[in-house]
Amino acid sequence: MPKQLKNIYAYWLVIPCFLIYGLFFLLPSVMGLGISFLNIRSFNFSSASFAGLQNYINVFTDSYLNIAIKNSFIFAIVTTVLKVVLGMILAVFLNTKLKTTNLLRTVFFLPAVLSSVAVGLIFTAMMHPTRGIINVFLNTIGLDVLAQNWLTNPHIAIFSVAFIEVWKWTGFTMVILLAGLQTIPESYYEAAEIDGATAWMKFKFVTFPLIMPAFTNALVVNLIGGLKAFDIVQSVTQGGPGSATEVFGTLVYKSFGSGRYGEGTAASIILCVVVLLVVLPVYKFLSNKEVEM
Amino acid sequence: MSNKKGRWVIEALGLLLSLVVIIPFYMILVNSFKNKEDAALVNLHAPTQWQAISNYITMFQEGGVWTAFKNSILLTVPSVLVIILLCAMTAFVLQRRKHKASSLMSSLIVLGLFVPGQIIPTYFICQYLHVSSFLAAALVLIAANIPMGVFLYMGFCKSIPTEIDESAILDGCSPLRLFFQIIYPLLQPITVTLFIITFMAIWNDFGTTIYFLNNTKNFTLTLTIFNFFGVHSSDWNLVFANVIIVSLPVIIVYFLAQKQIISGMTAGAVKG
Repeated sequence: MPKQLKNIYAYWLVIPCFLIYGLFFLLPSVMGLGISFLNIRSFNFSSASFAGLQNYINVFTDSYLNIAIKNSFIFAIVTTVLKVVLGMILAVFLNTKLKTTNLLRTVFFLPAVLSSVAVGLIFTAMMHPTRGIINVFLNTIGLDVLAQNWLTNPHIAIFSVAFIEVWKWTGFTMVILLAGLQTIPESYYEAAEIDGATAWMKFKFVTFPLIMPAFTNALVVNLIGGLKAFDIVQSVTQGGPGSATEVFGTLVYKSFGSGRYGEGTAASIILCVVVLLVVLPVYKFLSNKEVEM
Repeated sequence: MSNKKGRWVIEALGLLLSLVVIIPFYMILVNSFKNKEDAALVNLHAPTQWQAISNYITMFQEGGVWTAFKNSILLTVPSVLVIILLCAMTAFVLQRRKHKASSLMSSLIVLGLFVPGQIIPTYFICQYLHVSSFLAAALVLIAANIPMGVFLYMGFCKSIPTEIDESAILDGCSPLRLFFQIIYPLLQPITVTLFIITFMAIWNDFGTTIYFLNNTKNFTLTLTIFNFFGVHSSDWNLVFANVIIVSLPVIIVYFLAQKQIISGMTAGAVKG
């Protein structure tokens, strides 16, 4: 390479980006680790004292705080399973050439572009115990037994919120999987057909192994999204009733509001660790199973 | 023959399923046209008394929608432009340099794709730097969207042959001109995608703005929904009119630029 070509990619071009990213993303992540060990109740480090593991102990032992950990896991697992299963069914159906294919893809993806607050409000209305159309519909078709206090019954509220999240993001998951399906050459199916494969065998031996990369990503993206959930929960239940739908996100927001910065930060560090612990093995495990085309 | 029949069944089933998405949209639209008493029933019937225009006028007057609309633009547009410029420059350099430093920087950026941000320490930093309100929200949102932007641009830069850079430099082009006059225009397809998805992400943001914009004067449109419902929780007609107005810009953009939105939103999640 001629000498004059060596410095054409000047590093100073990355400086503004790293300045902002460093100050408002990387530095807070590192600082978070420090703050989580402090007893700090104002935005002033001079009034802070070392708290050791107290913040973490509080998060893990206080029932109010620790329900958030449990709920985050329930929320992440329930939503991921439903989004991936439903998304897969939709993707397989919409990978066939129907007259309405494009229209249906557009419609199913639509909820993903709305703001979570709007979606949350729509479902707050739909899940109203007496007037909401979900219960009205169940009563009309004679399934009164299934009608619930969707958002006010502490036992099911977290699942109701999970359902809203599923409604919003299933179309998105469908598109990820659809993109994977479309990379599979038609000839593979033709070959399978000549060998006498049934529809299920074609799915099991051709489709599924070949969409593994897309599947992995759909799974990882949804798991992270589920663990990080904040918007939808905050806009629908704000963590209530009581602490029935408290998740990491709402917990951090509450700690922030009440000035318990150390505990809030400890909760968000735990979330960070959980995300890494969950995501990396899943990613590794599923990546190993991918087949080369 | 049976194949044709099967197709009809699938077609009908698909349309039936799409009602799950369509009914909620229809519900907010039709209820935003009703009077207060009818809307309180939040059902799917046609309005007995049409109040379409007056509902929307009342909502505009009481919801602080104009101010919020201006705030949303003020927050979103500059942030998106900064993201595009910074990410394009960074991705180009990081993709072209084969260095330890550049691969370390790429890894730091990729980390941001899945590690959740630490909002409380971020708030501390903003306090220390004396940035607040819009500037703070904008900087935090820019930082949060940088990983996605750099990731998308790096993928795209791979497809631009390095011979272009070399011949430009040998022809006497300065490194700066190389980026701005030759490379940047070539990035246009992904710039359009990134523009649209970051625009929507920031426009719809709630998780960050709720921390930094905490006064009705600096609420964005998305925050007005939350606030408006708090104040008018029994006026479902007005609440739904508010939801419609706030969602309309995003829905219009979605129908105009569907392809870019879908490819952009799912880009980080699909390999190859």
